[in-house]
Amino acid sequence: MDDRLEKALDFSNLMITLNNQRNLIHEKFLENCVHYVNGGKFNVNRDIINFCHTLIQNGQKSAILLDDNNTPIEVKELEDFLDEILSIYSKNMNEYLQKFNEIKKNRSVEGILNI
Amino acid sequence: MKQGVLLFALNNKDVDYVKQALFCAKKIKCHLHLPVALVTDNRNYLTKRFPFFKKYIDQIIDIPEVNTNQTKRFLDGVYSIRKLPWKNHSRPDCYNLTPFDETIVLDADYIIGNDSLLNCFKLNQDFLIYRNPTDIASTLRKIQKFDRISDRSIDMWWATGFYFKKTPFMKMYFELVQHIKDNWPYYRLVYQIPHSTYRNDFSFSIAIHILRGFQLNPNWPIKMPGNMYMASDADMLHSVDGDKLSFICDYTSSGGYYVGVTVEDSNVHVMNKFSLGRAIDKDKEFANE
Repeated sequence: MDDRLEKALDFSNLMITLNNQRNLIHEKFLENCVHYVNGGKFNVNRDIINFCHTLIQNGQKSAILLDDNNTPIEVKELEDFLDEILSIYSKNMNEYLQKFNEIKKNRSVEGILNI
Repeated sequence: MKQGVLLFALNNKDVDYVKQALFCAKKIKCHLHLPVALVTDNRNYLTKRFPFFKKYIDQIIDIPEVNTNQTKRFLDGVYSIRKLPWKNHSRPDCYNLTPFDETIVLDADYIIGNDSLLNCFKLNQDFLIYRNPTDIASTLRKIQKFDRISDRSIDMWWATGFYFKKTPFMKMYFELVQHIKDNWPYYRLVYQIPHSTYRNDFSFSIAIHILRGFQLNPNWPIKMPGNMYMASDADMLHSVDGDKLSFICDYTSSGGYYVGVTVEDSNVHVMNKFSLGRAIDKDKEFANE
């Protein structure tokens, strides 16, 4: 086989593995960014963080939030709730970054898969 | 007992579900710290082959052995197919079998890698069930056969893992599942399922469709917390290293093109039972119990 093609195909194989592992760590990040409170389930993302922050800035101490299952959930301590979701978001974003960098620096299939 | 996990292990001649259930129970104890009850038709095999079982199984629930005529094609990678007896008849009985008030029911081939299922108990719901599994090689393929119970039929829900409370509503649900099972030749025609094999995923999905008022109701049932990762029976589990599972996945419809995939700290449904059995045998920690 032409060396140029062989090198390109090797890289292509690496990209297949890399892309799939990146997708898996993204899925893992999304899975972990969830907060359960008062029977409700909230995906923790920038939207809900900003919304809660806005409510607190407007002087609200409590709020009724619509959860991921379209259920209205009363959150009595809004500031505590914001602290909790910020903590979840930061922790998981840090883990995501760490795993992302581990994958990025590897230039072999074995390295990406950590085997 | 208030909360716990119910597992089923009904061996056939080639698949050791008891071993898989014990491995699954070990992971449950590690991550969920919940009592585990095992439903089996072969207590003798469990107690003699795995004398250490009490470390992981809190209660054995005996059911009579049923010699079913039902068979299923089991893949071990793309090129190996075996037709074996498939004893999946007892799942609709889990309402009566469970010793728990709140039960998580799992397949024996479901490997727990984190504590996300503990959130089932925080959701104030009678029933939670998996809907869309996450394919471990989803960037490379789309397995459409798991979206609906057949091409022109209803959404598929997964009896691989679900949570329920013992309530009158759930009693009605499981009685309906039993009714569907008892009248399977009728229901499979109504719901346009080409294969005659009874499958719990299908009867659970049909019961959900009926109780939803035959509508696409997005508000019930609620999905199980966390992701259910899925490795198809064409994939092979290469090794288990703690909570890191390494797979070789086929990503073409014709077969023969593989990619390595590693999944960590995740709950994974390993559909290739043979490769799961081999990986458990290779797991030194489990082998040296």
